[in-house]
Amino acid sequence: MDLVVYSLKKLYKIFRNEVLVLPSRVIVALFFIALLGLPLVTRDPYIIRIVILTSIFAIFAASWDLLSGFTGQMNFGHALFFGVGAYSSALINLHAHIPPWGSVPLGAIAAVLAGLIVGIPCLRLKHTYLALTTLAFPIILTGIIFALPDYTGGELGVSGITRFTNSLLGNYYLHVVTMLTLAVIMWKITDSNTGIIFHAIREDELAVKASGINTTFYKLLAFSLSGLFAGIAGGLYAHYMRIAGPSTLEVSMSFMVVIWAIFGGAATIYGPIAAVFILFPLLEFFRFWPEYRTMIFAAVVLVILLYMPEGIIHWIRDKIEKECPRCKIRNVATRKSCRICTADLD
Amino acid sequence: MAEPLLQVESLSKSFGGLKAVDDVSFRMEQKEVLGLIGPNGAGKTTLLRLITGILKPDRGSVRFKGKELVGRSIWNIVNLGVACTFQNMRPFRRMPIIANVMVSCLSPRSSTRGEWVKKIENKAMDALEFAGISDMALEKASVLSQGDLKRLEVARAIATDPELLLLDEPFGGLSPAETDLMAKSIRRLHKGGRFGRLHSEGPAMIIVEHKLHQLMKIVDRIIVLNFGTLLDEGTPEEVVNNPRVIEAYLGKGGD
Repeated sequence: MDLVVYSLKKLYKIFRNEVLVLPSRVIVALFFIALLGLPLVTRDPYIIRIVILTSIFAIFAASWDLLSGFTGQMNFGHALFFGVGAYSSALINLHAHIPPWGSVPLGAIAAVLAGLIVGIPCLRLKHTYLALTTLAFPIILTGIIFALPDYTGGELGVSGITRFTNSLLGNYYLHVVTMLTLAVIMWKITDSNTGIIFHAIREDELAVKASGINTTFYKLLAFSLSGLFAGIAGGLYAHYMRIAGPSTLEVSMSFMVVIWAIFGGAATIYGPIAAVFILFPLLEFFRFWPEYRTMIFAAVVLVILLYMPEGIIHWIRDKIEKECPRCKIRNVATRKSCRICTADLD
Repeated sequence: MAEPLLQVESLSKSFGGLKAVDDVSFRMEQKEVLGLIGPNGAGKTTLLRLITGILKPDRGSVRFKGKELVGRSIWNIVNLGVACTFQNMRPFRRMPIIANVMVSCLSPRSSTRGEWVKKIENKAMDALEFAGISDMALEKASVLSQGDLKRLEVARAIATDPELLLLDEPFGGLSPAETDLMAKSIRRLHKGGRFGRLHSEGPAMIIVEHKLHQLMKIVDRIIVLNFGTLLDEGTPEEVVNNPRVIEAYLGKGGD
């Protein structure tokens, strides 16, 4: 009994010292709690469905950030990975009768292969040329899908695939928990030594090579990791919607993910996720004025990017926290001195 | 005769019609410090870039400890033990200074050398301490001055524990005081030893420099390039008294 009390006390202490000290961490904790506790408040199928789709797209946006935000390999054809993941898991599920538990990971592996197929020819390209080349890949795949309607369903897509589960709550928790787990994994990757190399490749690739790092390996790693996560998102999407159509490969899909990531703040992982959770429900909310829906949406995005070029999350973070000039530890904006080194803030 | 550390044979590289490096051959022994001088556009930087693999030569070979370097990738050459600094410094500007050095510490060569560390930050910190900018380790690299950027370049290079270090204008754009400090750290590096958790045997060096006065104090031998060809080779005293070298630098006398 003492042991339980002791460990609970210790957990509380860690929570107080690590989470409660920074408003941004409190917000992240609240976000986790709110997502996991939402069904206690409402079980409205419409809201649950919106949150599930938002979670799927959050994985997708974060995977773009992993590749383009961190490594600087501007990918304007990210829908390719989403589409490959969706189509492969749908086809595997339909023809091989593998349940979603197996077909989603297999679809993700197909997306990794797609990542390598895109990544290898793109190794020599940079900036605009890379962006334009990657833009072509999903269009090529769409062409292939339309050319082989017997296997891919053509414009109608692959339908009749099974769901993970038919229960509302089961689906909700499956998608939300997957999203939170993958987000933490992606954030951990970017926070590790590998993340430092990804960052450095974005800054100056030649200098990374001259530091003795095999940049080819790391760029392909970024492409395949990004493909993996986007493929999982695609697979989840196909199984949730019970259809994998050519809309998953659309150009608008590729640009949507760029908008999300830039809106939230590139090279953060949490930025794009937050952006999806803001923008996707917002776009649904604008359904009240269907004629002006996309126009209002575009106006919101434009205004935000005009006044917060670093992304909304950076902007909010800088308002509620400030960085200690000496030890670079972040502090609550109301503090007068740093919580670690007691240096004067501002 | 023992194998030389570096053997460059009839190395040539032209950009269009311009012969940047034309049939250059020289050799270097272990632990030797070689000065590489010449007027602007003589091909000094190109020669360094050919050795490190940033540029591919048209002809010729570069052998480092018996291994051919031509045709290898840059990171491969760095992991064999040839490190270089850039003339126009290329830091990762939006990253903290320590992260700049951590990238070098993450290279395969660096992670198998020196003391084993659990946290790569410690090793990077030692490299920064050697270069003398450890107090700014957490700042972004974009805030550094010219002189400190040069130091950062040196820190990044020694973090890979090179056996041959190519320094491209280490004193370029530095104030006299900074130049003295840099010269001091180069001499200290050449002596070798332990810098915190980094070990160094004291690398051989090729130094490209225009400030001859400082350079003469450091180097054992000097190579003079002019218009891509080898003009002269010898000890500092021999080279500065060679009339052809004076002519290349200052032009011919009026009468």
